[in-house]
Amino acid sequence: MGHTGEKQSAAESLRKTRTFGKVRCHNPSCMGRITPAPGAQRVRCPTCGMEYRLIWVNETLPRIRGPVWETNRKIAQQAWARRQAAAKEVK
Amino acid sequence: MALNRKIAYIDLSTNTVETRPIPLEIRKKFLGGRGLDAYLLYNHAPAGCDPLGPENVLIISAGILTATCASASARTHIMAKSPLTGLLGSTNMGGFFAPELAWAGFHHLVIKGKAAGPVYLFIHNGEIEIRDAAHLWGKTTTDTQWAIRSELDDEEVKSCVIGPAGENLVRFANVMTGIKNAGGRTGMGCVMGSKNLKAVAVRGTLDIRLAHPAQALDFNKKFIDQITSAKVNQIQGKLGTPFIWGATNCWGGLRTNNFQYNQLEDADDIEPERLDEIATETMGPHHMAACFGCQVHCRAQYKIPAGPYAGKYDEGPEYTSLGAFGAEAGCRSAVTVLTGNHLVDQYGMDNLETGSLIAWAMELFEKGILTARETDGLDLRFGNDEALLEMVHRICARQGWLGDTLADGGIPAAEKIGNNAFDYLIQVKGMNNLHSDERATPALALNVATSSRGSDHLRSRPAIDLYHLPEEVLRKIYGTPVPYDGPLSSDHTSYTGKPWMVFWQENCYMAVDCLGICKYHTVFLGATLPNFEDWPRVIELNTGLKLSPTDIWQIAERGNMLERLFNLREGLTRDDPKKGDTLNHRYFDEPCLRGAPDVIGLSIDRDRFNAMIDEFYEIKGLDKNGLPEPRTLERLGLAQEPSHQL
Repeated sequence: MGHTGEKQSAAESLRKTRTFGKVRCHNPSCMGRITPAPGAQRVRCPTCGMEYRLIWVNETLPRIRGPVWETNRKIAQQAWARRQAAAKEVK
Repeated sequence: MALNRKIAYIDLSTNTVETRPIPLEIRKKFLGGRGLDAYLLYNHAPAGCDPLGPENVLIISAGILTATCASASARTHIMAKSPLTGLLGSTNMGGFFAPELAWAGFHHLVIKGKAAGPVYLFIHNGEIEIRDAAHLWGKTTTDTQWAIRSELDDEEVKSCVIGPAGENLVRFANVMTGIKNAGGRTGMGCVMGSKNLKAVAVRGTLDIRLAHPAQALDFNKKFIDQITSAKVNQIQGKLGTPFIWGATNCWGGLRTNNFQYNQLEDADDIEPERLDEIATETMGPHHMAACFGCQVHCRAQYKIPAGPYAGKYDEGPEYTSLGAFGAEAGCRSAVTVLTGNHLVDQYGMDNLETGSLIAWAMELFEKGILTARETDGLDLRFGNDEALLEMVHRICARQGWLGDTLADGGIPAAEKIGNNAFDYLIQVKGMNNLHSDERATPALALNVATSSRGSDHLRSRPAIDLYHLPEEVLRKIYGTPVPYDGPLSSDHTSYTGKPWMVFWQENCYMAVDCLGICKYHTVFLGATLPNFEDWPRVIELNTGLKLSPTDIWQIAERGNMLERLFNLREGLTRDDPKKGDTLNHRYFDEPCLRGAPDVIGLSIDRDRFNAMIDEFYEIKGLDKNGLPEPRTLERLGLAQEPSHQL
């Protein structure tokens, strides 16, 4: 039972998994942990290549402000082209 | 005791008031708030009643923890048969109204009949007055609240009110309290308007005796630590719900141009940080406010920085206003978003429904289904900010052919417009979807399709499905308080195990709405926030009621089933495109074109979606048609409903 001192609830026990100074890639199939340099304004996901603009809520809490539109538009267009090519092959 | 708050039955046709205590056995079955509202609605609204007729009942309530030491116990719940959907009407708002109602001696108001002319209720320390409101009719929501305070000579009076939209019977008119706390969904303001009820004002100074006050206070410190240490709430406290909009737009999960796209590109001017800059410039650095008893402070205060409404004060905008006056309409201006947000707040109109319907009309206009004749010359194209805001005025006032048509809601409007307008209406059960795009997320698609009040994210959305949490973490969350050893998947594109996650969240959110606390204090956006295992102690210390996590689970399941019974009685069938557990064809037929690379090209697979519905029904104890099995009703103690015990 939570908060009784006897046993932690699931929610309480999950708190130890928190990280600091990292963001998670917003590509939902990636969600990789990215560690930007302190105070960095941009970061690229080393796993999937998405690029983000950053803002720092505090010194240990960076946040993704938004995509770098040009980079991610290009990645999206390439992904769409790949999908269409794959669909043609199936036909 | 906290449990001695009463129910008041108010008949506006006969000017009569009756009050009754809430028996403990009823509390143990439904707790309070939304759960008990569902019981009252099912028992008091006649089957098939006209939502705008005097026989419809409007229920306004506080949760069982409201005004106790439990943090964020500020939520007001409102329920009636919906004039927008013809099914369950249900909405929930923060602010300060519900605690004041509890201090005034009541937890539930059941309002029946129709007043001969405009009235408002004044409830104070056990007394209920029905007062003339002719002088308030026509006033905006904020002006109404200040006029009531002035009349009663008490600035501490809290009111929930309707604006001009409710008076004009706009089918998605909302109920407002404070500047921006909105009971926005399903047209509860329209029901108030149909009863000539302009406002409910409350003022209370009655003590609420807690069962174990010292321990309750001490316990709440731990609870607050759990809530405020969550990263998601730390960011909420800086940026409010726009942070969710920003993240969602980032990966491509946002309804854009009426669901034609799933991302608003180059939206820098309406990103949450930009809105935060405007709030800081216009209100100073400490511009985040909170509801009663909440430490998260997710509500920004701002003044509109430019344009015809420059200098006007408001609060928010929330995610939904960014959707309504941003992405859905293809608009990228912060001034437009802040102005649209201000207008709907003052008019008392659901921002989500308003923005969605205008975006729908924009697509119809661009496709030639609507022409300049129907729009009275308005160039209703995506990205036309002026046309967007003009339509907000027109809908509220029912001005012009299109303004009047859209004010009746999507399905009646589609029937009036004709051609294939309905095909482009992104709705479930007659209510427009949240401005999120669920084509890449089957679990979220199942959630909006099966939500009891029509398409909605606050009824059963497993939002943490997007966090890619390891399966063992998912099992920790979704395996309690009821054991679950079926499949679970960390993959948001998977269809596996999602029905259980939606079922779990459905019960979690119902429990929260019965307790009267905010969803940002449970497993909605953060996996580490309190849920079933954490609640028994807070309930016991504050109210004296001893419940186990599984007791709370079963109460929530019971409340959800009662809502389903109400919907079935009022015409819900599984596959009805207007009243069923279904989705617009675009979910299945048109893939995502923008966003993160793994989202591109995704859509919902129709067969696998139907299989999820089958599984969801089975988990809930429903048959293939979505009707409850007799043994399910027996198990939940609902076989004898309506039982008319209250």
